[in-house]
This record gives sequence, C-alpha cells and structure tokens, in this order.
Amino acid sequence: MKTNNTNIKMKLDTSPKNYGDILIEAKDVEVIFNLRGKKLKALRGAGLVLRSGETLTIVGESGSGKSVLSKTLIGMLDKNGTITNGSILYRGVDLARISREEDWLTIRGKRIAMIFQDPMTALNPLKKIGEQIREVIVMHCGLDARASRTAALEMLEKVGITDPERRYEQYPHEFSGGMRQRVVIATAIACNPEILICDEPTTALDVTIQAQILELIKKLQKDMGLSVLFITHDLGVVAKMADKIAVMYAGQVVEEGSVEEIFYDSRHPYTWALLASLPQLGVKGKELFAIKGTPPSLFKEIQGDAFAPRNPYALQVDFYHEPPLFEISPTHRARTWLLDANAPKVEPPEIVVKLREHLKKTTGR
Amino acid sequence: MGKYILRRFWQSIITVLIVLFVMFMLLRLMPKENYFTRDDYINMTEEDRTAYLRNLGVLDNPLVQFVRFLRGFVTGDLGRSITVYPKTPISEILKEKIPYSLWFGLVSVLLSVILGFLMGIGMANNKDKLGDQLGTMYVVAVRAIPSLVYLFLIQMWITHLFNLPMVFYEDEPASWILPAISLSLSGIAWYAIWLRRFMVDEENKDYIKFAIAKGLPRNYIMKRHVLRNALVPLVQYLPSQILLTIAGSLIIESIYSIPGMGGLLVYAIRQQDNTLVQALVCIYSILGVFGVFLGDILMAIVDPRIKLTSAKIEREVTA
Ligand SMILES: Nc1ncnc2c1ncn2[C@@H]1O[C@H](COP(=O)(O)OP(=O)(O)O)[C@@H](O)[C@H]1O
Ligand SMILES: [Mg+2]
Repeated sequence: MKTNNTNIKMKLDTSPKNYGDILIEAKDVEVIFNLRGKKLKALRGAGLVLRSGETLTIVGESGSGKSVLSKTLIGMLDKNGTITNGSILYRGVDLARISREEDWLTIRGKRIAMIFQDPMTALNPLKKIGEQIREVIVMHCGLDARASRTAALEMLEKVGITDPERRYEQYPHEFSGGMRQRVVIATAIACNPEILICDEPTTALDVTIQAQILELIKKLQKDMGLSVLFITHDLGVVAKMADKIAVMYAGQVVEEGSVEEIFYDSRHPYTWALLASLPQLGVKGKELFAIKGTPPSLFKEIQGDAFAPRNPYALQVDFYHEPPLFEISPTHRARTWLLDANAPKVEPPEIVVKLREHLKKTTGR
Repeated sequence: MGKYILRRFWQSIITVLIVLFVMFMLLRLMPKENYFTRDDYINMTEEDRTAYLRNLGVLDNPLVQFVRFLRGFVTGDLGRSITVYPKTPISEILKEKIPYSLWFGLVSVLLSVILGFLMGIGMANNKDKLGDQLGTMYVVAVRAIPSLVYLFLIQMWITHLFNLPMVFYEDEPASWILPAISLSLSGIAWYAIWLRRFMVDEENKDYIKFAIAKGLPRNYIMKRHVLRNALVPLVQYLPSQILLTIAGSLIIESIYSIPGMGGLLVYAIRQQDNTLVQALVCIYSILGVFGVFLGDILMAIVDPRIKLTSAKIEREVTA
C-alpha cells in the first residue's frame, strides 16, 4: 500500500501468546515493479503462513516470485517495486504497510533475518569476518565491544567453525564457499531472530557442502527454535528440509500443504509437473520430465489460470476464470479448477505416482 | 608483506634504470651543437669547441657517460644548464624553484582530496538527485572547458570581486589564495567523480544487500562499508600525485607569474638544453615510479586480499 501510511505508529507485539503459533500470515500480496515505465506484476496475490518452529519451503521455477515474496517480509524490495495490495501480518504489525526505514531496523536482522544465495559475495571482502558478525550484535543486542566480541566468537563456534579466535581475525577470501556460508549464517542468527529466511542458500555450493549447510540450518533451527522460510527450486532439498511446502507459479502460491500432502497427495497439475521433473528421484530408464512451454509474461494482465497454456489437464474454464484456492484439508490448499465440484475426475500422471513410491523408499518419509 | 614490498622495490629500481638508460641514450643522438650557448658557439674556434666538448665528457663512450651521470646524480651533481640558465648548476635551479611548486602542489592536493571526497560522498549519497547533478555539471565543466578559459576568468573576475592581487607576490599571502584554488579545481573534480563512481559500484554489490538484511542503518553502511571500500582504489594514486606536485603547473604558474617548476621541462626541450632535460626526466621518472611503488604498498595495506595473492593490482583509474 503506498497510500498515507507514513504516520502509522509501529507497535510490535512481542508477547509470545497472542498469535497462537502463526508467526507470519501473508495474504493476497501484490507487488508491481516499474521497469522503464512498464509495469511488471511479480506477485499476483501471493500468500503464505509461517508457523512457529516450522520450516516452510517455497518452491517454483525461477521467476515465479519466490525471492520477491521473501523480500517483502523484510522490506527489501528493489527500489522500483511496491506492494500494491495485500497484507503481511507479523505480531500485530502489517509489514506491507511499513514505509519508514527506521521501523524496519527494529525487525530486519533482529527478529527476521535473511541469507542469500551466493556466500562468495555476501561478505565485505575488506572487513574481518569477526567484525562483520560483531557489528550486528552491537547494533541489535546493544552489547559493548568486549561482550560483542565474545558473542561473535560464540556464534562462529555455533556454526561449526573451528579455531574461532584465529578465524575471527581473518578476511572472507581466506574462507571457502561453505565456510563463508557458515559465517553468513552466524551473522544472520547472531541476535537470536525468530525467523530465518534462506533464499536458495545452497544453490551456489557443491553437493557435499550443500548437505552440510542444510544439516547446519536444521540443527540451528532445533537448538534456537527458529522458524525457517526456505526458498529453493530443488525438490530434493525440499524433501530434506520442509515441514510445509508452498508451490509458487507466476506470482501466486498455487498449492500449499505439509510435506506429506504435497509429495503424496498433491492436486495441482503444476505441482505434478514439478515432482515429475525431480532429477534426484528420476526413475531409471525414463527420460527426465521437463515442463513444456514457458511461464507467462508478467507484463501483461493474465486471464484465467496462469498455468493453463502449459497444462495438459487444462479445462475450458481455466482460460477465462482464475481458480480460487480450494481447501483440501486445514493445511492443504490448491488453486486449480480440477478441485471444483463440477470438474471431471483426473488422476496425476503415472510418473508422479511412481515417484511417490520411489520417494517413500529413498527418503523414508 | 615484507617479501611483496621487497619485490616491488626491486622492480621499481629496474624500471627507473631502464627509463633513464633509454632517455640518456636518446639524448646522445642529439647534435653536439646543443652543448653550446649560441654566443659561445659563434665565438669559439673549432679546437676550442672540441676541447670544450671533451671537457664536458660528451665525446666519451656513451656507456661511460651514463655511469658517470648516475654517479653524479647520486651525489647531487646534476651538471649545469646550457641554454635555459646558461652555466648555472642545475641543483641550484631546482633548489630555488621546487619549493614554490611543492608548496602550492601540496596545498592543492590537500584541498582536492578534502573537497573532492566531500563532494563525491555527497554525490553518491544523493545519487541522481539535484546534488548529484550539480556535482556532475561541475565535473563536466572542469573537464570540458579548456582550463585556460576558466582560469583566466577566475583571474579576471574573482580578483576584481574580492580585491585580490592579480599575480603572485612572495610576501603577500592574499596573492597565494587564487593560484592554490585554481590548482585544485580539476583535482577536486577528479576525486569527486571517481569516489562517487566507486561508491555507487560498492553500493550495488551483494555484500551491501546482506548488510541491509542485517538491519544496519543506511548511514552506517555508507560510512563503514561503502565509503571504506570505495577509498581503496583511490589511495593508490595519492603518493604519485603528492610526489609529482614537484613538477608544478605550466598554466597556473605562468598566469600568476609563480617562479616554480611548471614548464621548465618544456622550455628545456624547446631550447635543447640536454643536461637540464636529462636531469628533469630523471627526477620525474624516479618520482613517478616511486609514487606507484608507494601506492601499491598503501593498497596492500588497505586491501587484505593483496598480501596473499600476487602483485597484480587492477589499475582501473587512469589519472
Ligand atoms: N527489481 C525488479 N525489477 C523488475 N522486475 C523484477 C525485479 N525483481 C524481480 N523482478 C521480476 O519478478 C519476477 C519474480 O522474480 P523472483 O522473485 O526473483 O523469482 P524467483 O522465483 O526466481 O526468486 C521475475 O519475473 C523477475 O524478473
Ligand atoms: Mg530467486
């Protein structure tokens, strides 16, 4: 909302009880970017619910709006973007209506922390590792020089960096990619945030390091009671990390549910397509399934279901009317006309059914 | 670090020697008549001339001459000027002229750095806003208009406006102001535009995005991350710029009649004063190479990445 919101007095309700276990509830978020006069609608009414202590992963093809949605949660949309509709409730405050930087400073990094994709570039190359952690602690926890140094050393230890005293004095170029991501994580959680947003934190790392970082995030989540919003386009990572999954397509969440619900009982054809394209779980001898066609241009107003042109199960109605979110269970919802009472009965493709069995065997979930 | 400095030091020495050698040998190709003032040449007999040249040593093997030149240079004997200041020892000429250029030069570097940095920071902080545009206009103006034009206007109008002296008088401090300012105008523009550019570059880097995500205030980020890092590529040029102030400024010293070094090399070349040319080229190239050497060391001090990696430093700014 760009309208007269400058005078909103921000009052963060920090008492634990009032909001049940729902930490963040984003509804109908619409984000428009202005690109040299052209408008690009990156989010078209996206929503999500993040519950205390759980990991919600957002999956979807690149360009589906995962990063944009997560950036709205810490007020870090690029300058040319605005939230034009919707709300993001967090402890009694609508984050979508915060406009003053000062207000964000009490949330960003302190209560909601975020790490990004590339650890190689996320740290200041000319500043000692330790100092980069310490500056957050000084800023948000108000510790003095000595105490903040000790706290920074503790954080280094906590993320599995050996010999923290020596490492504290080193510069980023003396660290490997995996080690840098550990430092980035240490920085992010230095002030005990309650929410950690990870935007593809392992995409730039090689597979073994990736597994270590995922383990670390899981461990920290347990130890510190973090709620994690984990963005990835890798369903294999999802299977490892998620409690809940939100599937995004063209600026909307098209299906959301628990891991079990998405992997074993998904309803949206786009989710099926994603599952079928999962390389790690690919069925031997069968060609990897790729989703045909390209996502729609977000510069134009989309009519009907955005996935319809690529959807082999598309109904006539999909091309004219946007489907609502149908509720399948209290935690499971999907945005497809296939769930309408009048829709014909369809089964997910064979490959997805097979994958489910395969998944059961390999991950044990 | 020590190893790095040592290696860069030897590289610098070798560079200087090569430059001096080439320059020296090229000057040996000049006609021998250059070693005479005009009157001497006319008044001397052929034998006198040969005796004079032999006495000067310019008839010896060039390699022998080169070694002698180096030895003289080290002991402070730069030879005598021939045509520009006939028969005056060059060291005396320099002793008299250098202080003027050096003092004006140092003041101007100081002014340029302080004002240029302030301006650059202001421009980066207000990117694409009015302040930035005004700053850019200033930079473009200083760069695009021939300096003679605006320097002349300053000399005519400002002196009139504030009732300042038109030319330099050693014992009248008010007459020092305008030359110092004039000398700084392009330096200010240079520092401002590069600092702005490097700050904007830094601001767009990923680590700044993460710094914002950390919840650090913008002012803090601008000061401790953006500015700090943007200064790194600039410190490299500071030593050269300070050292080369010795060379003075041809234009400013001539419009304000300052008896400094400005233009001395140009006159020496025009009047084919071989010994003066070789002394000046020698001094300037030593200072130039030494300035780059100091710059590289400064760079290694402020950029921790350089200590471990090789001596390769990107020279992005061209002065
Ligand atoms: N600053 C911006 N200006 C214009 N378009 C943007 C900007 N940031 C993101 N977008 C667009 O928004 C859409 C969603 O982007 P993003 O959230 O980064 O996708 P992803 O799901 O890969 O993270 C893309 O079409 C992208 O081009
Ligand atoms: Mg992304």
